[in-house]
Amino acid sequence: MTSHTYTVQRSTLSSRIALTLGAAVLVALVAMPWWATSGNIRWAIELSCYLAIAQMWNLLAGYAGLVSVGQQAFIGLTGYTLFVLAQNFGVNPFLAVPLALVAPALLAVPTYLLLRRLDGPYFSIGTWVVAEAVRLTTTNIDYVNAGAGLTLRVMTNYSQHEREVAFVILCALLLLTTIGGSYLILRSKVGLALTAMRDNPVAAASQGVNVGRMRFLIFVAAAVGTGFAGAIYYMAQLRITPAAGFDPFWASMSIFIIMVGGIGSIEGAIIGALIYFFADRLFGEYGSAYLIVLGLLTLVIALYARGGVWGLIQKLGDHPWFPVRRILIKVEK
Amino acid sequence: MQWLDAVIQGVLLGGMYAQYALGMALMFGVMRIVNIAHGDVMILLSLIAVSLAGVLPGGNLMLVIAIVPIAVLIGWALQKFVLNRVVGVDPLPSLIATFGLSIALQNLMLEVWSADTRSLPNSGIASASFQIGPIYVGLLPVIVLCTAIALTAGLDAVLRFTRFGRGLRAASADTDAAAMTGVNPRRIYATATAIAVGILGLAGIFAALRATVSPADGPAQLIYAFEAVIIGGMGSIWGAFLGAMVLGVAQAVGLRIDPGLGILFGHLVFLAVLATRPVGIMARKR
Amino acid sequence: MSEPILSTHGLVGGYGDFQALYGIDLHLNAGEVISLIGANGAGKSTFLKSIFGMLPVARDMVRYRGTPIGGTPTHELVKRGIAMVPEGRRLFLGMTVEENMRVAIDNAAIPESRGQWNRERLFDLFPILRDKRRQPVEALSGGQQQMVAISRALLCQPQVLLCDEISLGLAPKVIREIYAVLPDISAAGTAIVLVEQDVTLAQEATSRLYCLLEGRVTLTGNSRDLSREAIAAAYFGGSHAVA
Repeated sequence: MTSHTYTVQRSTLSSRIALTLGAAVLVALVAMPWWATSGNIRWAIELSCYLAIAQMWNLLAGYAGLVSVGQQAFIGLTGYTLFVLAQNFGVNPFLAVPLALVAPALLAVPTYLLLRRLDGPYFSIGTWVVAEAVRLTTTNIDYVNAGAGLTLRVMTNYSQHEREVAFVILCALLLLTTIGGSYLILRSKVGLALTAMRDNPVAAASQGVNVGRMRFLIFVAAAVGTGFAGAIYYMAQLRITPAAGFDPFWASMSIFIIMVGGIGSIEGAIIGALIYFFADRLFGEYGSAYLIVLGLLTLVIALYARGGVWGLIQKLGDHPWFPVRRILIKVEK
Repeated sequence: MQWLDAVIQGVLLGGMYAQYALGMALMFGVMRIVNIAHGDVMILLSLIAVSLAGVLPGGNLMLVIAIVPIAVLIGWALQKFVLNRVVGVDPLPSLIATFGLSIALQNLMLEVWSADTRSLPNSGIASASFQIGPIYVGLLPVIVLCTAIALTAGLDAVLRFTRFGRGLRAASADTDAAAMTGVNPRRIYATATAIAVGILGLAGIFAALRATVSPADGPAQLIYAFEAVIIGGMGSIWGAFLGAMVLGVAQAVGLRIDPGLGILFGHLVFLAVLATRPVGIMARKR
Repeated sequence: MSEPILSTHGLVGGYGDFQALYGIDLHLNAGEVISLIGANGAGKSTFLKSIFGMLPVARDMVRYRGTPIGGTPTHELVKRGIAMVPEGRRLFLGMTVEENMRVAIDNAAIPESRGQWNRERLFDLFPILRDKRRQPVEALSGGQQQMVAISRALLCQPQVLLCDEISLGLAPKVIREIYAVLPDISAAGTAIVLVEQDVTLAQEATSRLYCLLEGRVTLTGNSRDLSREAIAAAYFGGSHAVA
């Protein structure tokens, strides 16, 4: 009689390739000041921010069932906090980035406690109201120059090269914490609970998952991750205004990226961010016509292909880049 | 006296918001769907009205007769081609679908009508006003408020006393059980959406008469409608009306304190209601 | 014997990938009362839902008055004369007793004035509901709610009434009250399928009985002719000792 045991497989060939590639990309990113043009570095900063913001939204909507359309609140708030710390308090702007991350966490806690009472779709518009309230408040505060916004003049204290080095390091950290962090969370026990929650919150709760607490933690973590990206983005822009920092378009962008790429997977976020980034470069000049297409594309995907591009790819073959599942394998002895 | 004036102006403004909110209260009541494109559809109807006003003889009454059927048709199409496919327990697909629709609509309107603000030519009504004691009251805002009251009362009566209303409340309470009792949920949904968007047609005309509209205005109207519904209490038609009044007064009072604070005050009152009385001020007991 | 009013033919079905029913053959004659018994998870509710358009089945697996009706939408089946008293009653909360009834009247193919059932007749059958007609249903006791659920189903003017676990969670006295009206219903010409977990109750109230186990019919026959031992074996499966 053959006996057999089981082992749990957690990585695949495709995932080992992806991890190697990911590490290579990070190294290349950090080395950019020595091999790439300033224009390319700007692109890399933007793409990193888009990807991070989108992945944070993915964590919220794709796993925690919290469909926020108000993440711009955290982008603008962190951006503003950074500008105030660096410009008004004289903190080194690069050190001000981690300090500024306290702000989104502080906003996320009361926001969640207020909005958790709202049902699915109402939660979404509630987050939007909070973002609008923060935007309007900012517009009314003379200390931050009201509607006219702030400029980060202290950046002129650093040479172009110094700035670029700092930015690529910050971007690498951003990707490590948002993408890498998501991956680690999803592979951990918490990830199992999150996946269970995504598939069926009621059943997950009955299996001992504290759904409320989990959602709360994810909401705060996503706020901080989103804020991190916002701080880097506006530091690179050197300017922030309430209209830009709290622009609902940040929410639209996250939704486009995740829905087109594929909700509920890191692979989807990456694919979506790349598609959006290049579509924006190629077709952005068409303005509203381009946005009509993006809007309709989102609509069509929501109606007919909820898995997005990654969902379609997975139908062709199961080759996850970031496997978060546990695969049980029977080993014959 | 200044504050009394602010309250009166706020109530009148609330009349406009009530018209936005009724449709949302109705649709959420049945399908548990929030149509993110709610405000954009209203702006679309406003802009169609502005364009039609140039070619249609017969003034504003003719405009109402033309726009409301268009609105009903849009509502029907929205239901048939979008909402019916996404109705379900999971709110994500409907949110995303209507969100995409909202972006597409806004930019489509931008292409067709450009970013200019537009309004309907006022045939005297918009500028007419009368005086109560020391306070001036515009005639048009009063008409808007009276229409809102009539619509609210009418909708409430329809829900209470008609076959459609009972079917709607039944489907809203338990869709499966309603089907087991012979109600066709899809037809009920389609009728509800048609009515909701039909009301938006009327609101669109009033909005363009009262002030200006431009393609980017939709999201703000969506937020006002949403705030009114939540402040009032979900599932209550008169609650949505009352919520609109509270929101209008909050904005008018805020505006009186500082011109930059009007809308923010509305948001703050909404958040305060959410913090202290999350079921809304007129919530029905369940 | 004339053709049965309702029948299923090799009915298979379930939820999504999960198959719960493996070829059920059942028939119901006009005016007859039958019961479907079985343990939790035997597939009784799934069977009713499959008949009633709430789970996908092939068209010819279900026949009603000679016509294949499998997969027809629920609300259309109601108009053709099938009604259900669902498990857990599923009343329309926030609406009054009479409003719950009105929803059925509004949508029935036969108007209340010409149908077998009208509110007056039901108020005679369940006098307590007459007093409570203007009260919201959530103010009623479990038994009273069950009466509303039965009334609501009857006001659809059905030829066939599907009752899903109508005794569940009710006190014995209330169960007797509810079961006492079943003969009246069948006397009015309505055939009844009674899904029950309580075997004794099912045996007493019906003429024929089907026992389901793991999605298959394990026993069928005249209710009063079946021995307790046979039923127990069919109910729990062969390996169980008979008490």
